[in-house]
Amino acid sequence: MSEKEEKPKKKSRRDFLQNIGLVGVGSVFAGSAILAGIKYDKKKTPGARIKVLTAENELLEIDKNDTTKVKITKAEDLTLLQKEGREGIAGKRWVMVVDLSKCKNARKCMSACQNAHHLRPEQHHINVLKMQEGKNTAPFYMAKPCQHCDNPPCVAVCPVDATFKRPDGIVLIDNERCIGCRFCIAACPYSARVFNWATPVLEEEDKNKTYNVELNVPQRKGTISKCLFSADMLREGKMPYCVSACPNGVYYFGDENEDAVTNGTTKETVRLKKLLEENAGYRLMPELGTEPRVYYLPPKNRTAPFQEKDKSEAEEHLDNNKD
Amino acid sequence: MLDQSKTDKITTDLLRPIRLNKAFVLWMGFLGISLVICLYAYTLQLKNGMVVTGLRDYVSWGMYISNFVFFVATSLIGMLISAVLGLSGAKWAAPLARIAEIIALAFAAVAGLVIISDMGHPERLMYVFIYGRIQSPIVWDITVVSVYVVISALLLYLPLIPDMKICYNKLEKIPKLNRWLYKILSLNWNGSLEQEKIIKNSTRILAILIIPVALAIHTVTSWLFASTSRVGWDSTIFGPYFVTGAFVSGSAAVIIAMFFYRKNFKLQDYITDLHFDKMGKLLVLVSLVYLYFNLNEFMVPAYKMKKFDAIHLNDLFAGSYALMFWAVQILGLVLPILLLLFRKMRKPLPITIIAIFVIVGAWFKRYIIVVPTQEHPYLPIQNVPLNFKIYSPTLTETLITIAPFILVLIIITLLSKLIPVIPVHESIHQNEETQNEN
Amino acid sequence: MFRKHHFIKISLTFLITTLFYLHSFAQNWDIPDDKKTKNANFKFTNQTISEGEAIYTKNCMSCHGNLGKDNSLKTLNPIPPDLASVKTQERTDGELFFIITTGRMLMPSFKVILSEEERWKLTSYIRSLNKKYVQIVSETNTSKSNLIKIKMDFDSLTNKLKVDVKANETSGVVSLKDAEVMLFVLRYFGKLQIDKTVRTNNEGIATFNFPKDLPGDKTGNVDLVVKVSDEIYGEVETQSKFKAGIPTDKPSLTEKRAIWNVLKKAPIWIIITYTSIVLIVGAVLLYIIYSLMKLRKLGNN
Repeated sequence: MSEKEEKPKKKSRRDFLQNIGLVGVGSVFAGSAILAGIKYDKKKTPGARIKVLTAENELLEIDKNDTTKVKITKAEDLTLLQKEGREGIAGKRWVMVVDLSKCKNARKCMSACQNAHHLRPEQHHINVLKMQEGKNTAPFYMAKPCQHCDNPPCVAVCPVDATFKRPDGIVLIDNERCIGCRFCIAACPYSARVFNWATPVLEEEDKNKTYNVELNVPQRKGTISKCLFSADMLREGKMPYCVSACPNGVYYFGDENEDAVTNGTTKETVRLKKLLEENAGYRLMPELGTEPRVYYLPPKNRTAPFQEKDKSEAEEHLDNNKD
Repeated sequence: MLDQSKTDKITTDLLRPIRLNKAFVLWMGFLGISLVICLYAYTLQLKNGMVVTGLRDYVSWGMYISNFVFFVATSLIGMLISAVLGLSGAKWAAPLARIAEIIALAFAAVAGLVIISDMGHPERLMYVFIYGRIQSPIVWDITVVSVYVVISALLLYLPLIPDMKICYNKLEKIPKLNRWLYKILSLNWNGSLEQEKIIKNSTRILAILIIPVALAIHTVTSWLFASTSRVGWDSTIFGPYFVTGAFVSGSAAVIIAMFFYRKNFKLQDYITDLHFDKMGKLLVLVSLVYLYFNLNEFMVPAYKMKKFDAIHLNDLFAGSYALMFWAVQILGLVLPILLLLFRKMRKPLPITIIAIFVIVGAWFKRYIIVVPTQEHPYLPIQNVPLNFKIYSPTLTETLITIAPFILVLIIITLLSKLIPVIPVHESIHQNEETQNEN
Repeated sequence: MFRKHHFIKISLTFLITTLFYLHSFAQNWDIPDDKKTKNANFKFTNQTISEGEAIYTKNCMSCHGNLGKDNSLKTLNPIPPDLASVKTQERTDGELFFIITTGRMLMPSFKVILSEEERWKLTSYIRSLNKKYVQIVSETNTSKSNLIKIKMDFDSLTNKLKVDVKANETSGVVSLKDAEVMLFVLRYFGKLQIDKTVRTNNEGIATFNFPKDLPGDKTGNVDLVVKVSDEIYGEVETQSKFKAGIPTDKPSLTEKRAIWNVLKKAPIWIIITYTSIVLIVGAVLLYIIYSLMKLRKLGNN
């Protein structure tokens, strides 16, 4: 038995009535510090070259000053965002590669993601886990976003088409539609989904924002939230929030159809097949047949050792009968 | 020569409970107040969100879903007694058919409400009908549960049509509204052979139809779990496992109801020791089948102890769920089977006590099926507060869980005060037949 | 005996590691003198600063933090400095440019990612908070890069791409010898380098082996970028389309009927099963209701 501090707590599980005070409201207001980080992506760059995708799916680079923003009313705006959000970006098959050998548990991905999607501190679209698979195997850090499966069990069970898979492979959640049944949470073997149990942190600030299904902001109480591969960023030709926030070069992101992924830190572009072949890339729980779009490179020749202090937590998930 | 006095006695006996008395008012008052308290808890959930429950991202289905499974399960008994036993010609079960149908209707109708209490956006319920994806087991479940409610209501109503006429004729000192209701519901019954034939045929068709539908509601409910790849849920026998479990809790519910009606409605002549004895034997039979499925469900993975199965099963057999698990299996299943093998234990009082154990065990069994699995996901639960890792229901949640039980009791009470719980027309008919045979 | 041996080994490892780290801390960037004195050939303006800021946000901020806020990522080793710090600002423009270009240890090289102009713009942003800074604009090779003419020629038989680099001098056309040439294919998030960096031969020609399995668009077209850097003529980039890739037109991932797809794309068997069950049950229930109506009518007579 590992001596985890939570153990004694377990005994009180049946004391239903004693737990009124332990609803966890304490953590509710802790997330207000998130506010600050949201702005940095919004900086204006006059004269900058931007990439735009034409209707013919051609990527053009034009001067940002040459573009004029089409003014539309809020209602139309929502319809447009919902339509775009369901159609995805034509001709693409997004893919992510996570290089475990480079992860140092810096958790910049987690905070960038929480800032972008207005999440509470305990809500993770991407979660860096301390993993240990066997007693004598080495522990390692593993960033785990939604796997954006090609055979997504969560989408299969959704009764109202609130969570759906797009032609470009991204699994999105539409919180204008979600009824909050949480069947998708039950169905996801990767524990990739979170629920808005309480009022979202930035509900007041987001009150007048039009809902963007590609960002899932504003978050809504009583609905699901999940990793979106930062679909809003991809539309602008930028890489996901987590990918570009990583200081350690862990993430590659790209288009499988182009056979190319670009490193979020070094911005180096490499061929996907070659990267996976040379590093023995693999996917999580392939035996479930979920066909994830996230690939992992094994934690070989690591750039930093696994922290001593994280070892006990990594071991926790092993068989609880171990000696 | 028919014994008219016997017929009159049957009629008076069976119609006697249909009147308002002090006990009824007190009981309904108690239920009403309790329901208001529970509904207040629900308004808290509506206002503050589901944060008022003990549910979190990992264990996101808890008592509400366990309760839903329990309610669907218990409602299955209607099919077993009125359809299976009815069609197979088991005459002893005939007086119990209406009790079983009342239980079936009440539990099935309320089950739908239970599932709404688990929704983050209950006001979006209509979306299931507008945007429903027929690939989702939830849509199947909603379809079959509504169909089951309709069929159960019809199966309750059809044999009731002649009784409605009797009520209309015999009960004169009741409010006008009730008499009007009886008149409407009796559908101009005049006891002609043609009418008898229509009732008989329709009942037969429904009795046949309800068998697959009833199997479907619980099989589909089990698929809510079995359609995932979760440890403890990813099982091919979940359908029959749930269905057989359903008969156990349903039989227990009927036994408890029988005891209550017999005592309070003074129906000792109609719900006899023989009925308890037969129901006891039935309970043993279904429990044995359920035990067999339990053996399969736990023994097969426990033999292999695959990595994640082992974590799950160790927690059930010897971990934090061990007490609940073994209590449910022994007190709620094994001991009842052993005790009910003795004739003395199948007398009304002992069997009712045993049935209470069985039904409580059945509720916790659903909890054990629903909750522990979610505490054992494939990937570790990290970077979240402690209450995300271990589920412990809150008071608000418990009150919202109790509400459906109160509703069921209200429905059953109201129905028992509106309609005779033992079929009058059928009892007279049977009495005539036995007399003719003599 | 063994333990002693072990001890020595551990101490040695420890010593070497420590020395290595000390070394890396102490060691300055090894910058050649001629690179130190290099300067941008355009004036830093508000325009270049804001463009530089966009480049900084995208490429540098995750480690170096916000300029002047001293919030660089302290968990890294060595710690990336705040680039507005005195130590960094004491460096010459040429040194900064060199560091951005080559990178070292954790710091990636931006030679491929950013063009020369972009790297200078980045430098201009890094200088933007320094009030004392006075720019020295390079007076040499101002517009020589305009003279470069690049011709690309793709041979689909051998899958080789020939790049011919010439300069239109007033004295006539000359071939650029020994110029550094890089070939890229444009991908959604960046440039994928093809083959290795090649130097032009005496005729000003650089040849690249183009991979045979690189996906192009529907017709096999790919956008190729050639980047030429020359000591005298500076850096020049051109882009053109060639039919050098494999025609790629993969269907959308939601095309097939599947359990997880939308209602319209549900598997046929589910549609048939579900609908027929609902219809059958519905018909039976309607029949029962019809029977009850008949029953009521019979009572009227």
